[in-house]
Amino acid sequence: MSAALLAASLPAVTEPAAAQTYDYEYGGENNNFGPGFAYSQLDAALLVYQEAGGRVSAIEPTTNLTMHAADGRQLSLGAVADAVSGATPNGAVPSNLPQNFVTPIKAHGSTATITGASGGSTIIQLPPTPGQLATAALGRQYTVPANMLPVDKGFHDHRAAFSLGWSQPLGSITDIGLGGGYSRESDYQAITANTHISQNFNSSNTTVSLSLNGELDSSFPFGGIPTPLSVMNAQWKTTTTRDKTQLGFVLGLTEVMSRRWLMQLNYAFDQQSGYQNDPYRIISVVDPVSGEPLQSLYENRPQHRQSQSIFWDNKLDLGPAISDLSLRYFRDSWGITSKTAEFSERINLGSAFYFEPSVRWYQQSAASFFHYYLVGEQPLPAYATSDTRLGAFSADTFAAKIGFNLNKRSEFYIKGEYYEQNGNGHPANAFGQLKQHNLFAGTKSAIAFIGYSWDFH
Amino acid sequence: MVPRRLKMLFLATMAASLGGCSSLGPKPWEKDLMAQHEMQVDPYPVLTAADDHIYFSKEASSGGRGFAGGGCGCN
Repeated sequence: MSAALLAASLPAVTEPAAAQTYDYEYGGENNNFGPGFAYSQLDAALLVYQEAGGRVSAIEPTTNLTMHAADGRQLSLGAVADAVSGATPNGAVPSNLPQNFVTPIKAHGSTATITGASGGSTIIQLPPTPGQLATAALGRQYTVPANMLPVDKGFHDHRAAFSLGWSQPLGSITDIGLGGGYSRESDYQAITANTHISQNFNSSNTTVSLSLNGELDSSFPFGGIPTPLSVMNAQWKTTTTRDKTQLGFVLGLTEVMSRRWLMQLNYAFDQQSGYQNDPYRIISVVDPVSGEPLQSLYENRPQHRQSQSIFWDNKLDLGPAISDLSLRYFRDSWGITSKTAEFSERINLGSAFYFEPSVRWYQQSAASFFHYYLVGEQPLPAYATSDTRLGAFSADTFAAKIGFNLNKRSEFYIKGEYYEQNGNGHPANAFGQLKQHNLFAGTKSAIAFIGYSWDFH
Repeated sequence: MVPRRLKMLFLATMAASLGGCSSLGPKPWEKDLMAQHEMQVDPYPVLTAADDHIYFSKEASSGGRGFAGGGCGCN
């Protein structure tokens, strides 16, 4: 796309004339966008995310360009970047005494001199491993005050991801497509590929689709891959990388039920094999009488995970407002089941604005190997994690979006969301000092989006 | 495993739609409302992808919606 073409297509911001009604009606007289026309669509958005309590914050710009040919061929390009930082729970339980945690301090083989520490931590001297210079055996130690949820404040990362997709009709087949993506951050890489086929029936009232997707992930955490359920230590681990593969499919049915009602029903199946641990996350082993944390062990999750979900979405145009109601049921081999319900109502305010409030309700059960903590002197289980994301909780999202139709070919929108997780911070079997603390480490966060979308030739 | 009743309901719905019941659904001249941008199943894929990314990062479930590259590759 030449710069001149882009400049020429930038829309002037004008109020639509009173006689004009805003619509993107395909084949409309004033704007040749939609099936049967050649046009491009550019979407740009910025996401800002902030958790309460000084925890994670993130900023994520996204852009997507889709080029449509008149005969139904389509090419899409996407790019996302994100910068994440802040404090994240490390998985240990709170204590009524201060706790120390250690992590590796510098890159393996580096001879750089450490002159100071960051993130409220200190440099400590470790016993050197055989053959290692004493001066090179350094670790980072941070202290969590009494009665606070243990978090690691030194968490920060940058990520960039790209995606490419192609789809087109083929003979009597309505649509086939291929796509791929690549995502990279300092300690993780993901390569994805997908293909899909879809077919229309019943005068295009029915669309059946099948998509296959695969992914190859590599985890190369700072400090190396820890031995699962070993004691947390600041040594650089000898295994540096572990991989995971994922293969899945989605079978979908889209049905125009009536003039006003569109429905989609999807069944998704997914299988993951390989390294699925969070290499930075630990679980506390507590004293069987006092409940005081005695040591921290690296977590361990099974290497296989199979999941299924059914997703049902309904869009209803009831005149002044368009309603969207969706439900999802999810179940996996880790013992997690979840239910999701989302509802939004888009209310057009004249031709230029719309207001869209929405709510989401979510509930999940805990993984079979989720534990708030492990108890000393009991046999270690094969798998254990205290990661809240695999625990039982419910979550609510309240959001409101306002959109501005700048003209028939572009739109600007802003959206604010509040997301809150609620779980049981006082499990029934908590004992000793554990009873004094809230053991649930779920998040509360505020999210803002700004987005701009425009069509051009 | 997904509960048997749910699976049967899913298959029954699909079968009913595919069973050549061309009487189900509007006639081509009744699809004016369906042509609206906001009546697409996912009219703002960039927003959906960003929301899905947040939920995948903070929850145990993922995916379910849509197909092809538009779905969450961050599994």
